[in-house]
Formats: sequence, structure tokens, C-alpha cells
Amino acid sequence: MAYRQQPTPGEIVIMAAGPIMLVFSFFDFASHTSSWGSGIFPVATLLPLYGVIMSVQIAVTRFTGMNLPKRVVGFSWEQVHLALGIMAALLALGFLSTDIADKQIGLWIEVLGGLALGVGAWMLQHERHTGVIG
Amino acid sequence: MNKAKLTPASSVILAGGVIMLIGSFLPFYEFSILGVSRSWNAWSSFTNLFLFPLTTLIVVFGVVMAVQVALATFAPGTSLPDRPLGFTWDQVHLVLAFQVAIMMLAYLIRDKGRLDWGAGFWLMLLAAIALLAGAILRTRDTAGAPPLS
Repeated sequence: MAYRQQPTPGEIVIMAAGPIMLVFSFFDFASHTSSWGSGIFPVATLLPLYGVIMSVQIAVTRFTGMNLPKRVVGFSWEQVHLALGIMAALLALGFLSTDIADKQIGLWIEVLGGLALGVGAWMLQHERHTGVIG
Repeated sequence: MNKAKLTPASSVILAGGVIMLIGSFLPFYEFSILGVSRSWNAWSSFTNLFLFPLTTLIVVFGVVMAVQVALATFAPGTSLPDRPLGFTWDQVHLVLAFQVAIMMLAYLIRDKGRLDWGAGFWLMLLAAIALLAGAILRTRDTAGAPPLS
């Protein structure tokens, strides 16, 4: 039973990425403005938001034993993670390549976090044998 | 002979995708001062406007939805995976439409400073609403349908 409480590598990646993205969303994203600042919010805030949703869902189910509904609007939680992870990774690549004059530490961490969410969600499919990965 | 039958949901998605693509080439942001004007569309790149490739991603998602509907309706012989990445096509449409809608909403809320929204922005916003409505309608259409064999 204790073994079951151990998070899997995919879960660890997501649970680490979410809080880190949230914290760094308050650091400068571009010039002297954070993800929550005027002109950037809420376009760049989507990335930490996705990270928080994914990490909170895993932490809650893993550590509190709370019973969340098995499906959300017809999606399994693994599918929710995969969808959010893919979108986070695409957004990360988008922010990496869009024209921003002065990229700051907040942006770099958000980009890395977004890619980590994608990788974590992908690992989760393998760990939970969803059949998405062979 | 197979007769192509476009459901209301498919029509809405198809129209949404076309409007999205057309809108993407029209001005997304405009700027006009003292008779000098400038505009940028969803494919433009300009410092700190967050356009290409972020806005282009929105367009691509809308076009993918419309193309899938068009292929499934007018070219049923086309080989498409039954469940891409484990999702049904209804789910793929929901995910893409949700992402399109949330991103357009984000651009609507975003402080654009002295810029104005152009016709392209409004068309893309309209298309986003249509795509989301179409994706939701689509799940209702197939809710009572027998499962795929």
C-alpha cells in the first residue's frame, strides 16, 4: 500500500513543474513585467495555469486520497493531462519563438515548464498503460 | 452513391474554420495616429505583440478541425486514425476548440495599449465561438449514435 503512494516519474515531473511555473510566473517575463502584468496577462498566464491544474490534480489524488470524478466532460484524467500537456508544450514553443524584445527568467522557466508538462503527461500515459504509447 | 451529409455541427465547424482562416489574413491589431496607420495580422511578427506563432497556432487548430470535418464528410474513403493519441475525434474537436476559445479570450482580455483590434481579430473571435459551439454540438450528435465497430 505504501508503494502505491510513491509518485511515478511522470507524476513527479508534473508536480515539480506546476509549482515552479506558478512561482516564476511572478518573476519578470518580458522586460520588467511578469506573466500577470499589463500587456502580458492572461496570454502568458495560461502556461502556469495549466501547470497548476495538472499538478494539483495529481497531488490531490496521490496524497489526500480524495476521490475526484473518474471522467471530466467525457475525458479520463490521463486524457486531460495529455491534452493540457500538449497544449502547454505548444504554447511554450510559441513563446520561445515569438518576437519578444527582452526575454527574462520568467519566460525561460515558463517555456521549460511547459515542455516539462508535455513530457510528464506523455510519461503518464506509459506509466498508467493508457494505450496511447505502446 | 454516397451522399455527403453535413450535420449542423459539422457545418458550424466548417464555417468556423473557413472564417478563422480568412480572418487570420486580415488585421488582428491596428494602429493609427496622425494619419499614419499600420496593421498586423495573425501571421505577422512584431516585437511584443505576441502574434506569430501564437496566433497562428489558433488558426492552425481551427483549420485542422474544419479539414477533419470536410474529409470525414466529403471524402469518407480517406484514411484517418480512429483514435488519434487515444482521443475520439469528438474529443479532439473539443480540445482544439477549447484551446482556440481560451486563447482568443486571452487576447480579448489582454491590455493592448494604444492598439485597436482589427477586423481579423473580430472574425477570429467569432470563428472561435463557432468552433466551440460546433464541437459541443458534435458530441451531442454522436451521444446517441452506436459505438464504432
